[in-house]
Amino acid sequence: MLNHYAFVGLFGVVAILFPVAALVVGALAGPRRPTPAKRARYECGLVSQGESWVQLRVQYYIYALLFLVFDVETVFLYPWAAAYGQLGLFALVEAVIFLGILVVGLAYAWTHGDLQWR
Amino acid sequence: MLPTLSVLNLNGAVPQIAVAGAGMLIMLIDALFHRGSRRWAAYLALLGLAVALARVVESGASAETILDGALARDGLGMAFALVLIVAAALSVLVAMDYLRREEHERAEYYALILFATAGGLAMAMANDLVAVFIGLETLSISLYVLSAFFTGDAASREAALKYLLLGAFASAFFLYGIALLYGASGTTRLVEMGTAIRLAGTQADPLLWGGVALIIVGVGFKLALVPFHSWAPDVYQGAPTSVTAFMSVASKVAAFAALVRLLVVVLAPAAPLTSALLALLAVLTMTVGNILALAQDEVKRLLAYSSIAQAGYILVAAVAGEVGAAAVLFYLLGYAFTNLGAFAVVLAWSRRGEGRLPFSDLAGLGFRRPWTAAALSLFLLSLTGMPLTVGFVGKLYLFGAAVQAGWTWLAIVAVLNSVVSAFYYLRLVVIMYMREAEMPLALQRAGLALGVALAVCAAGVILLGLVPGVALDWARQAVAVVLS
Amino acid sequence: MSLTQAVFILLGGMAVLGALGMVTLRNLFHSALAMILALFSIAGIYVLLEAEFLAVVQVLVYVGAIAMLILFGIMLTRDIVGRASAVRNRQWPLALAVSAGLLAVLAVALVRAAWPLATYAPAQGGVADLGLALMGPYALPFEVASVLLLVAMVGALIIAREARE
Repeated sequence: MLNHYAFVGLFGVVAILFPVAALVVGALAGPRRPTPAKRARYECGLVSQGESWVQLRVQYYIYALLFLVFDVETVFLYPWAAAYGQLGLFALVEAVIFLGILVVGLAYAWTHGDLQWR
Repeated sequence: MLPTLSVLNLNGAVPQIAVAGAGMLIMLIDALFHRGSRRWAAYLALLGLAVALARVVESGASAETILDGALARDGLGMAFALVLIVAAALSVLVAMDYLRREEHERAEYYALILFATAGGLAMAMANDLVAVFIGLETLSISLYVLSAFFTGDAASREAALKYLLLGAFASAFFLYGIALLYGASGTTRLVEMGTAIRLAGTQADPLLWGGVALIIVGVGFKLALVPFHSWAPDVYQGAPTSVTAFMSVASKVAAFAALVRLLVVVLAPAAPLTSALLALLAVLTMTVGNILALAQDEVKRLLAYSSIAQAGYILVAAVAGEVGAAAVLFYLLGYAFTNLGAFAVVLAWSRRGEGRLPFSDLAGLGFRRPWTAAALSLFLLSLTGMPLTVGFVGKLYLFGAAVQAGWTWLAIVAVLNSVVSAFYYLRLVVIMYMREAEMPLALQRAGLALGVALAVCAAGVILLGLVPGVALDWARQAVAVVLS
Repeated sequence: MSLTQAVFILLGGMAVLGALGMVTLRNLFHSALAMILALFSIAGIYVLLEAEFLAVVQVLVYVGAIAMLILFGIMLTRDIVGRASAVRNRQWPLALAVSAGLLAVLAVALVRAAWPLATYAPAQGGVADLGLALMGPYALPFEVASVLLLVAMVGALIIAREARE
């Protein structure tokens, strides 16, 4: 059981070591001649503007929230799908009701303009 | 066993389905045609509650389970469900004109009231701790949102935030308690859990004790028992008054229903510990609630502290376990009429855009609004426990149950507390009738729905006070049929 | 000490470290990142307990969605972004006492409990068993959970809509 995850663990270790190694090697081996341009914050090549903290719009939050709700919904439906072969018609009805309740919420969000990016 | 329609037997879940279904229908209609008046949503909500009520009354008690053992259709669950549905219907009536007046009339309000009620119904009737928890969360989250319903009002938002943070904290305790009880018994079904605990004996199991303690803390937060009460005054005051009215009754009914079921079905073998713990909480809750209520100068906040104290009185009978269950049920029925009625008057009299109703505003209203003032006086007398009101009969049975179970000193503390409470309840009556108004309040016209709600509440208080026999028999018979 | 124990100690240590960081770091954003560490470590512990489905859910829902939601929530609020916030207030001794009490109760309960070992190993992380349970004995919580999700969604929309207007 744990053996399967040994690879995941190995991957984690490599994932941590790789950037650390890159930074360490760069710091040790690279020459250091700082100029103001080099010391500036790097932001996709352009001169960065404002502070690094930006205030997000509430829209992001609403989208994240809707995503979360349907994420959890998927989590609930996955076991149902996994056991589908052993389940009868009634389980299908249950899952449809479960979905239907959430679709009502989606319809509500949609028609009230919560999905519109303003 | 594979689930089939016959095993799940949905027929018995009609109350829940009717209530949640009406809420769903409101959401759907509002999503499709959201224009104009929202009055239809209130009527639809009342219709759903009426169907649920009819189903609860008609089906009667039978100690059987539905939904593969998850839901108990026993007398205890059905009776608490009835009280909850009545309270929800009155809350809808109370809110109709108020929401329009405050320009927050939206269909979601009624849908959320219905979802909260459905959650409460699940708590009252569930035979499974997981279902109890999810019901509790549905109820709580609906109430957090309802507390914030007057968007744009800072007090309403603050109330919601406080309620959310402390409520989430309480839920964590409750959930941890469930986990420990599951560890102790190996099941989440209440009946099987009770059997497992009885067989294992209660002396040695630390998981059981830990679980019980954590669950009582979680329920204590929801019931606003001292020392878990600190959120209640601010939330009750900041939330829209119609929400406060609903919350002060519905969350107590649902939480007490779950607590009584736990005490009777699961924790009966652990009674010495739970009773001692609950007795301590009852004394603290009554005393602190009453003392703090004495210092208030505003009706809504006074009623908040009074609600804390009232939960303490009810807890006195819960200490008695099975003996006190009928008294808890009967008192909650009376309390639903009384407290909802009192908040309805606050809501009728308070200024537009303002939840507060300072004592000074009451002056002179006894003669300017004779009927409403008489109703408020009646509710306050009932909360005090004056004879001829349901409050008197209810307290008699609460404290009688405690005496019967050998908790005489607790009953004495409760009576002393009632005497203290008379001071602040009766002071309001005195102000209404004996004091001249310095700045007469500009009163709103109370709508028909509010009038109906007040009349029903007043009639309930008087009838249950004068002829309590029928309701008492009903309560006794109901709690006698417990799935166990 | 077996390998399992070593991994458990590592994961448990990371979870505790993340939790401590969450409550003690002065920058709210860093607190949220520390919380992600704790949540992720707990997913690892689920794997160790052979509850693979739960582990995947933990990563998907908590690390993936909830942590993101919390970060968005922090970044929505101009006043607290990037600013050190007070970690303690006047009530910290009381809070410490209550927390210590809770820890004591739980520690005693968990250490002294006689833990029975499971005699049944679920296949494939128990997903199919979970599905059968959700559709059968737990059908009620399953359906109420969808009402709960609906309430949470509608509620958040009602409150967030006002912030947008």
